[in-house]
Amino acid sequence: MGLIENKFEKNVLTSSVDFLFNWARRSSLWWLQFGLACCAIEMIAASMPRYDLSERFGMLYRATPRQADLMIVAGTVTKKMAPVVRTLYDQMSDPKWVLSMGSCANVGGPFDTYAVVQGVDQVVPVDVYVPGCPPIPEALYYGIIELQHKVIKFETIAKKSSRAEAEAERERDREAARSTLVGAAD
Amino acid sequence: MSANPNEAETALAEAEAMSAPVREPATDMTGLAVIDPAWTNTGYWGPQDESLHPAILALRALFPDDVLGVTFFRDEVTINVRAQRLADICAALRDTPHLAYRTLTDLTAVDMLRLRDAPRFDVVVTLYSIPNRQRLRIKAGVAEGEPCPTLTGVYLAAGWLERECYDMFGIIFEGHPDLRRMLLPEDWDEGHPLRKDYPIRGYKQYVQPGFADAAPRITDYRRN
Amino acid sequence: MSISQMAPPATGTLEITDERQISATRRELVLNMGPQHPSTHGVLRVVLTLEGETIVATDPIIGYLHRGVEKIGETRRYAQFTPWTDRTDYVAAPQNNLGYILAVEKLCGIAAPERAQYWRVIMAELSRIASHLVWLGTHALDIGALSMSLYCFRERELILDIFERFCGARLTTNMMEIGGFSREIPEGLIDQIEHFLKVFPGYQQEYSDLLTANPIWIARTRGVGIIEPQAAIDYGLTGACLRGSGINYDIRKAQPYLVYDRLDFEVPLGTHGDVYDRYLVRMEEMRQALRIIRQCLDVVKDHKGPLMLNDSNYVIPPHDTVLRTAEDMQRHFVWVIKGFSPPVGEVYVGIEHSKGELGYYIYSDGSGVPYRLRIRSADFVNLQILPHFAQGAMLADAVALIGTIDIVLGSVDR
Repeated sequence: MGLIENKFEKNVLTSSVDFLFNWARRSSLWWLQFGLACCAIEMIAASMPRYDLSERFGMLYRATPRQADLMIVAGTVTKKMAPVVRTLYDQMSDPKWVLSMGSCANVGGPFDTYAVVQGVDQVVPVDVYVPGCPPIPEALYYGIIELQHKVIKFETIAKKSSRAEAEAERERDREAARSTLVGAAD
Repeated sequence: MSANPNEAETALAEAEAMSAPVREPATDMTGLAVIDPAWTNTGYWGPQDESLHPAILALRALFPDDVLGVTFFRDEVTINVRAQRLADICAALRDTPHLAYRTLTDLTAVDMLRLRDAPRFDVVVTLYSIPNRQRLRIKAGVAEGEPCPTLTGVYLAAGWLERECYDMFGIIFEGHPDLRRMLLPEDWDEGHPLRKDYPIRGYKQYVQPGFADAAPRITDYRRN
Repeated sequence: MSISQMAPPATGTLEITDERQISATRRELVLNMGPQHPSTHGVLRVVLTLEGETIVATDPIIGYLHRGVEKIGETRRYAQFTPWTDRTDYVAAPQNNLGYILAVEKLCGIAAPERAQYWRVIMAELSRIASHLVWLGTHALDIGALSMSLYCFRERELILDIFERFCGARLTTNMMEIGGFSREIPEGLIDQIEHFLKVFPGYQQEYSDLLTANPIWIARTRGVGIIEPQAAIDYGLTGACLRGSGINYDIRKAQPYLVYDRLDFEVPLGTHGDVYDRYLVRMEEMRQALRIIRQCLDVVKDHKGPLMLNDSNYVIPPHDTVLRTAEDMQRHFVWVIKGFSPPVGEVYVGIEHSKGELGYYIYSDGSGVPYRLRIRSADFVNLQILPHFAQGAMLADAVALIGTIDIVLGSVDR
């Protein structure tokens, strides 16, 4: 991707290339083998013979973040673990997606305590949230299909390549969320 | 009770205010309960009599000044001892042949902040004797800041259990070879969470390195 | 091969400081393993000090999944807390429910009816098999038998189907209630368990055929990670780690709870205390669990007794009378809104969990919430043995040693 990145303006040709690449990406999302808590057991169960997530979606788990496209945050993110999650996310190569699996990763779940980060979106930007405690494998399927819809709309050329820009965009998202919440309070 | 009852009451009210649930006064609801005889006479904790229980007899003979009291509840036996002799007492229980409490099942603590004035903590040691199939609970009161002798010289299993106890309650175990934070991060600076005056949500929100403040949450909106 | 005979490791770009240079030819290398590592069964982090391929020292660092469950227990009413017990040891949730419920029942001085006790045993033993299947699959996967995990998780789904029919959830079941079960047993559940009992021995024979006499499996496990009986007692081990060393301590036999004293089963014991013995012990425990379920099913098939304790304020009133009688509706309201207040006192109940002794210690001050709730999880205590028996082992055996303890980090960190 590095060859053509930032070389062209958006036009018919590159958006077709986008489609081709996105089709390939969508069909072979390799996920980071990384389980945190209870949801990890359901994630493993989803990849095992009954549900067979790996073969159906062209997915494969990789133990190293360098070879992974998708990070499934399956379980409670504690304050002790959050910097590790962030490091793993930073080590993944672009383009990368994050799927937050289960209530704990979404909003802290039942653990509203001193040790738990209340939602993994405080640590890494999340693309898809899957609710449930834990989500059954079918729910994980649904989340991954939703993510595939998102991946196919991904714009390669317009991708923010630098981390600072991505962080700035995230900060704008946070501002938008904050203003929405304040507006809802009024 | 303390000399100044007003002070104690204020402290109690403050501690009450910090705890999340509203405490209901204790009511006697045993009138309708079905008491299971199995829970009162299982024999898993030895005879329910001070003059018959071998561990109590042995401790009263060996440490007459250090056994402070004995409690029976359901079928369980609790011996209150002086904290300074805790390690010696456990060593005696382990090495006396007919007692043989060679397994340390559990070591933990209870913060008695709202229940009594002093000492603040109770170190609770649960022992088990595999040959006799009997449990025994030893309790020792430890004041805040006062060191408690370590059991690592008696039971190797005490190493991690005492580390956890230090992490959660801040009880110093004197002579422990490796007393550092266990479950919380090494650089945790918010105190010891299982103390009763520690709020369940902690004092700080998680702030990601590189950011000035915590990310906005729906909970913020709810609290406002 | 002793340590001194080892060749010095290839240093590469790894920093070797002066302190780690023991002599001209011997050097120590510190290797970090985890918390994100496929073979640490979760978020365990182990800092290994190596000399060549030999492990000199091990420092397990836990707490990456510490969620403050004990603190939550001090703020929730007794009947509210059960869902959190699911999430401590999430591969054997029914047994965690059972330990907590038994502790609360002991504190209140009540006991469930006989039929409910049999059903509790059935569910606990099913979850023991499920937990051992997860252990066997991941442990064999770590050592190199990839296909074992596929087989084990396939059969585990049969048990999860039973749980799903029984209570509606696969993993975090929250199925035990104070005083028994408030709902009737679903139709067809007994047939489903019968089917499982029929097919599972054949599957287990397949695992045995694959592993027990497999020369690679034997080479990786036999004589590795030996725990001497004295060390096992000193470190407070329980469960298969203790019984693998030949010490006969099973709480189901030593201090029977529920109806275990009426059931006929045996406690398998190891002789050498190595990884292979613990594997055999757990395999045999699965067979014994099948025997226990068989006997319980024969009893509950024709048992028409009540499932729930009726005349007690400690239990939730039956659903049908709540809607018809004013007294029960009032009781139900009080039970849900205010909870119940057990007497002042402290109890400790230990049950034989699939990983060892699971103990719940409750200190009650007479109010509606526990004053102190302590979870004594087996794998937290069992994991302490890792630095002891990893010393002098080879680096390649580290994953076998971690796997053989059978840890679940939710239960270790709580």
